[in-house]
Amino acid sequence: MNQTDPTTNRHVDEMTLLLYVERQLDRERAQEVSLHTQTCTKCLTMLRALDRESRLLTRAMFEEDEPFPARLAQFRVAAQRSMQWIWGVVFGLAVLGVYALYTGYIEPWERQLDQAGFGSTNLLSLLVFQGAFWKGWQSMFTLFEFIALAALAGFALFAFRKYIRRGSALAVMFASLGLALSLASPASATEFRKGDTVTVNKDEVIKSDFFFSGQHLRLEGTVDGDVYAFGQQVDVPGHITGDLICFAQSARVSGQVDGNIRSFTNNITINGTVGRNVTAFNEVFNQDTSGTIGHSLTVFTQTLTLDGKVGRDLLGFFQQATLSGTIGGSLKTKGDSLTIASGAVIDGKAEFEGQKPAIVASDAKLASPLQYKQAERRSHMDRGAGYYIWRVIWTGTFVLFGIVLFALMPRFSQETVELGEHYGASFGLGVLVLFGIPIAAFIACFTIIGLFVGLSTLFLWLVVLLAAEVVVGTIIGQWMLGRTLEFWPLVLRMAVGVALVRVITSIPFIGGWAGFVVVLWGMGAISLALYRRLQPVIAPSVPSMPVGPIGTPLPANTTIGGMQSA
Amino acid sequence: MSAPGKTDPTDLIVRARTGDADAWGDLYREYAPAIFRFCRRAMPTREDAEDATMEIFMKLRDKLGQYDEGRSFTAWLYKVAANHCWDLLRRRKLRQDKETEDVTEVPLETPDANQLERLIEERTSEEVRKALDKLGVRARMALVMRYYSDMSYDEIADALGVRRAFVGVVLLRARHELRQALGENTVLAAGGIR
Repeated sequence: MNQTDPTTNRHVDEMTLLLYVERQLDRERAQEVSLHTQTCTKCLTMLRALDRESRLLTRAMFEEDEPFPARLAQFRVAAQRSMQWIWGVVFGLAVLGVYALYTGYIEPWERQLDQAGFGSTNLLSLLVFQGAFWKGWQSMFTLFEFIALAALAGFALFAFRKYIRRGSALAVMFASLGLALSLASPASATEFRKGDTVTVNKDEVIKSDFFFSGQHLRLEGTVDGDVYAFGQQVDVPGHITGDLICFAQSARVSGQVDGNIRSFTNNITINGTVGRNVTAFNEVFNQDTSGTIGHSLTVFTQTLTLDGKVGRDLLGFFQQATLSGTIGGSLKTKGDSLTIASGAVIDGKAEFEGQKPAIVASDAKLASPLQYKQAERRSHMDRGAGYYIWRVIWTGTFVLFGIVLFALMPRFSQETVELGEHYGASFGLGVLVLFGIPIAAFIACFTIIGLFVGLSTLFLWLVVLLAAEVVVGTIIGQWMLGRTLEFWPLVLRMAVGVALVRVITSIPFIGGWAGFVVVLWGMGAISLALYRRLQPVIAPSVPSMPVGPIGTPLPANTTIGGMQSA
Repeated sequence: MSAPGKTDPTDLIVRARTGDADAWGDLYREYAPAIFRFCRRAMPTREDAEDATMEIFMKLRDKLGQYDEGRSFTAWLYKVAANHCWDLLRRRKLRQDKETEDVTEVPLETPDANQLERLIEERTSEEVRKALDKLGVRARMALVMRYYSDMSYDEIADALGVRRAFVGVVLLRARHELRQALGENTVLAAGGIR
């Protein structure tokens, strides 16, 4: 900087003059500059020039040289239009999917089970014991895949929405997707095979995980990894060094599995060797004399027959079970009937809870006498006081949960409650989320997408499911007591609403349907709020024409800072 | 500060915070054009400015809860916009151009006052805008923050990540760059007024 002494003939430097124009000098310094410019023509000229430069800059920046972009003006409207279209498609798909699922799968199973005398069997057992293992599994899997991929694609579009506005970006995205798909198979560490009948020959060794889908798999060779099998029939006379994850109508393991077996089959027979644990959801579970399970067996089945050896504990839920094998640990079971036949050996504690006492052969070897507990059988009509006490306790829990949610996410909670009153969108999205997300998560668990993503999604879904009652309770509470945005009054409305919802859902017969409606409504509202949070648009429309700066136009002679009077 | 909005935004802000879509629409309608123009001046291309405007309003939605109603909404909004644009530019490393030199390193030549006056008289707003496009990102950003958004020196220092004492230097250097871009650098740099 130059010299700046205004009391002499030396000029004030440009920096100081600029700071003076900008009113950034302290009072004393500003007075010195003011005094100097009263007598120094050059500095005064410079001061004026800087001030005019400021005006020119401001004017140049504020001048309306181009219209407000139509893209910005219209993008909310466009998004709303596209949203309406998407909602229609989504809702239609969801309804179609649910209808197809019900008429194609659930209804026939219900009929079959009714004929077989299992009319009161719940949906879970239908799915577990019968569902995925009949001949139509393949087509159902395709449906699942489609829904899962559609849901994932939707989430991906949301996540990357701001990067796909341009055509070129879209082109790159699709090109990348195509490339990824074309490269996925060779780059994958998993071997995939699909077909009516797939046989892994005796001398064949697969040195990776193995994924099978089709009608019949016969694995005579060796898989040095895990096996994922989706089929009608799965035979494993060969060797698996990892785990066997099996979804099939019928499975037979006569070979060796070094890891665990997770089985979701209609019937499974084990007469080979399993190195670790077996977890089975089946209609019929058989373990032959030659079958050996190194660690524990956990089984949910209709009929359990165990003639082989279980190294550790057995945990079983069944209709009827016959045990004549060896159990190295304890036995804990629940079912209709249990027979511990001749030759059975149980080295640990033995417990059974059922409708009638277990039949224990006299020569069965039990480390301690079997402990029997009579199972309670309840119906809607004979609910005891305990039921209602627990309902009250759960109501309090939900209210507490609601308070936590309101405290942690006050704005989001308010938005959710407000959006819950968009009934069509809430119920439509509720249907999609209630059914679509678990299916997508389920598929994710067993595909390349990954277990972590699947389980995380399921966990989030569960949280939303639990919060649904709180949301609907708050909406109903506001109907009854009026709207509010304050915290504790809102909590009061939520508590009243939740209590009412709990009462209604406790009513026999209609309570279940009411609960279903509450879940759909609440989940839809939460999902809608989440969607709105992710939405990038704000305004309904802005005219696509030249507009001024904020509010009124800037006057032509407006300046920033400006000269101070000397 | 530039001219405030025609209407008091307080009510709109309160409603928008509760998720009122209409209130959001009104806020957007009121402020988006000004923010777009800010971005247009600060960002290198029109498309960048459009993207930045959308992103700023997306960000605004999350940040609205942090807005202190005791302050000017417009000033706060410009601050959010300035921070966002500067972040974008910094991420692109565009500022690694000639501006990377330290702001205090190169001494500034004092121009001739009369020539500067003449230059300002002869140049139109359009020529200034074109010249602005030729500036380095920090120079342009500083000028936009000061002469479009009327941000204080403290706010500019905060946004650009420089000490407050350097803001004047940054602005003066930006003006010199602008004059140079306007094509008069040789004349202006030649004369002194000492």
